Amino acid sequence: MALGLAQAAPAATAPTQLSQLRTERTDDGLFITAAVGFELPAVVEDALLKGVPLFFLIEADVYRERWYWTDRRVAGASRTVRLAFQPLTRRWRVNIGMGTGASGLRATFNQNYDSLDEALAAVQRVARWKVAEASELKAGVDHRLAFNFRLDLSQLPRPFQIGTVGQRDWTIAIEAEQQIGRDLKSVVELVREPAPDAPR
Amino acid sequence: MSTIPPAEPSEALQRQSRTVRWMLGVGLGVVAALALVLLFLLTQATGNRELYERNYARLFALNVGVAVVLLVVIGWIMLRLLVRLRQRKFGSRLLVKLAAIFALVGLLPGLMIYVVSYQFVSRSIESWFDVEVETALDAGLNLGRVTLDTLAADLGSRTRQAANQLAQDSVSPSLAVERLRGQMAVRDVVLWTATGQLLASAGESRLLLQPERPTPQQIRQARSNRVVTQIEGLDEALPATGAEAAAAAAVGAAPRLPPRIKALAVVSESGFGLAGTERFLQFTETLPTDLVANALAVQEAYREYQERALARNGLRRMYIGTLTLSLFLAVFGAVLLAVLLGTQLARPLLLLAEGVRQVAQGDLRPKAVLQSKDELGGLTRSFAEMTQQLADARFAVQKSMVQVDAARADLQTILDNLSAGVLVLDTQGRVRSSNPAAARILNLSLTEHHGKALRELPGLEAFGQGVQARFETYLREAADHDLAPWQQTFELHSDMAQVQDRAVSLIARGARMPGTQECLLVFDDVSDMVSAQRAQAWGEVARRLAHEIKNPLTPIQLSAERLEMKLTPKLEPTEQAFLGKSVKTIVDQVDAMKRLVNEFRDYARLPAAQLQALDLNALVLDVMQLYAHGTSTPIQLELDPEAPLIRGDAQQLRQVMHNLLQNALDAQESVVEPEPKTGPVVLKTEYSRSSQRVRLIVRDNGAGFPDNILKRAFEPYVTTKNKGTGLGLAVVKKIADEHGARIDISNRVAAGVLQGAQVSLSFAVAA
Repeated sequence: MALGLAQAAPAATAPTQLSQLRTERTDDGLFITAAVGFELPAVVEDALLKGVPLFFLIEADVYRERWYWTDRRVAGASRTVRLAFQPLTRRWRVNIGMGTGASGLRATFNQNYDSLDEALAAVQRVARWKVAEASELKAGVDHRLAFNFRLDLSQLPRPFQIGTVGQRDWTIAIEAEQQIGRDLKSVVELVREPAPDAPR
Repeated sequence: MSTIPPAEPSEALQRQSRTVRWMLGVGLGVVAALALVLLFLLTQATGNRELYERNYARLFALNVGVAVVLLVVIGWIMLRLLVRLRQRKFGSRLLVKLAAIFALVGLLPGLMIYVVSYQFVSRSIESWFDVEVETALDAGLNLGRVTLDTLAADLGSRTRQAANQLAQDSVSPSLAVERLRGQMAVRDVVLWTATGQLLASAGESRLLLQPERPTPQQIRQARSNRVVTQIEGLDEALPATGAEAAAAAAVGAAPRLPPRIKALAVVSESGFGLAGTERFLQFTETLPTDLVANALAVQEAYREYQERALARNGLRRMYIGTLTLSLFLAVFGAVLLAVLLGTQLARPLLLLAEGVRQVAQGDLRPKAVLQSKDELGGLTRSFAEMTQQLADARFAVQKSMVQVDAARADLQTILDNLSAGVLVLDTQGRVRSSNPAAARILNLSLTEHHGKALRELPGLEAFGQGVQARFETYLREAADHDLAPWQQTFELHSDMAQVQDRAVSLIARGARMPGTQECLLVFDDVSDMVSAQRAQAWGEVARRLAHEIKNPLTPIQLSAERLEMKLTPKLEPTEQAFLGKSVKTIVDQVDAMKRLVNEFRDYARLPAAQLQALDLNALVLDVMQLYAHGTSTPIQLELDPEAPLIRGDAQQLRQVMHNLLQNALDAQESVVEPEPKTGPVVLKTEYSRSSQRVRLIVRDNGAGFPDNILKRAFEPYVTTKNKGTGLGLAVVKKIADEHGARIDISNRVAAGVLQGAQVSLSFAVAA
């Protein structure tokens, strides 16, 4: 019922946006720091409060630019962030795991939060995430980073998907590309002013 | 039978059957696709749930597509049917009726099943969700929550109490901690500094190298609230998924701690001046396993219930959507099949009805048949056979009629072209029918006199009476036994003196028409034959006479001349003159008789012409030398220099010219009243390119031919001259016949005044 109502009245939510994306190339490898801004629509929050876990998929791929052919993917990393509410303790829990899919929650890092905002903040922020080894990047060559953040609907409970496929409320996704500095120690940063109604 | 149907209807039929086949193909294809898709849906739904759910949207779209295609096809068929109905096309009403019946048969059960299924699905889905169940689950969850909270609050108060106690205590932290553990009966006690440094611990945490430090946030909260409690490890206590557990094990995470409550209380240093060293006391109590398990079970159930509750709309939509789609597909399929089957069923009937209509309109061309083995197919076959037999019978009749017509036409042609006249007379002697030759011979338009008795026709009184008399006796005798046809010669116009030369000799045969009382009269004009016989007889007589008469003539002449020679000296001059005169008379008469005899002989003994190529103009000039002087009337030559050679006998043609010129001169000389003619005799040659003939023309300015002479001028002994033998033109005619030349004889008339006569011969050009 809640779903039906939500579909009837499209929620006025701010679009997902990338407020920060910073790539840092060091001796150890390529690190990125990113912040994504989005608001959870009421429908999604309702589902969360009823115990449905949400999975966010963050992917970062590094391409070497080739003028004579399509760019070659030289490195990449992904992580799955699970956000769930525990009704018993009324606490929010964020699991961050490397990799994707069902087997992606490996080497999980767990964190409990008392409020949704805190938990969301943990979800929306990626800090010094190593996406490529130093050996994987050639010096003096142009590289490109493709950053992708989205709500993974395929990991929702199945019957749920039928109602959510194609729903705007359930579409939280952003893609961005950024040039990586050629030189070691180079830092490229993109900082966008957060939207007026920034994440709570 | 109708393997080779005729062009026009077969085309329509073929087109129709093509359309039907096409429709059938499309229908079958669609139905097959539909069946496949539905089968796929079904198997996926029962077998691989995950795949089914993932591809649900795609399947749905595919099904919608199929439904749309079906709808379009059905719409098209309906439209066609409607258009046919509007056009009042034959059989469309039946087709519509059949299609409607079949569609109804397909639609009603489908609708019923749909309604029941719809109710079933929505009810059963709704029945999963119950307010009481939800309330119970909520209550259970709350119960667990409250229990946990109570436990936490209890531990919190104890921790505070212990913290207060610790604040009063001044023993070493380790001892105090140990004592507190025993006193408060808690599992683990740790004393932290504000910066998170371990001061003392008792219980399990002593065994750990690095017990979990309180977070700064917790410390902040503990500072403001005096005590903070936290329940930990509940998530870890969940029956984790295999992968998660394996992953955790692989990484070698800290050993699983049982679910526990932690309480952190600030130890308020009241009396001492140790303000800088704020301490925090942390109690840890393990939760009872049963409680945790039950609470977690309730939570899990609640979560699942809520998940399904949230998803039930989706579920219901999915089920009902599938159901509706199935209904649409089934109904569309049914309608399509209905139309196709209706067409199939109606086709033999339409075929038959169309055939009947065609036969009623007289169209007996072979009818199309159906190859199906059922009764309707048999009916069409029987009908086609019947039509074929009708057509055969009609064809036979037509054929025999055509034959009869042809025979009649043949007979008519034969009759029309017979030289013999044919008349059919009824028993009263009236003319029933005649042929053209009869009219020509009798010189009467017989068609005007059909139905009149023969003897009533003008000029045929004697002929009619004779014929009727013969028929009467013939029929009388023929009544007893078969009789050969009678035959008799009749002479027409013979009783009229003034038309002597119009006399026609007929030879007539009479017979009875078989099977009727009518009589057949066949007659031939034998006038020419009689004329030819006459000419031949004349020739024979002439030859004999010439022979018999010529012999004594010479002695007579010689004797007379001797008499004159011997007696003249012995007589007186008066007697001498008498003798001379008498002898001269004898000699002249003998000469005349000789000439007569010679002419007779010439006519009878004219030798066969020796045809050679010769120049007619040269011959004319040659002949003219004899007439160069000594003629009273001038002869004018008009020679055509272009005249080619002709085939002719020079001697005989010379004779022809002599005869014609003599006749012309004689004719001109004989005219003295009212004044002698002065114009020259004209001898002319003329070449006609178009007909390839050369004409020889002789014209005079004499009195011309009387009418009766003109018709028989070429018969021997017909003459206008006092001294003529009547053989001149007969000879000319004979020679002309020998040369194959056409001879024309006519009077020249200018402005109604007779100018003279003209004779012309036209010869064929030498090849």
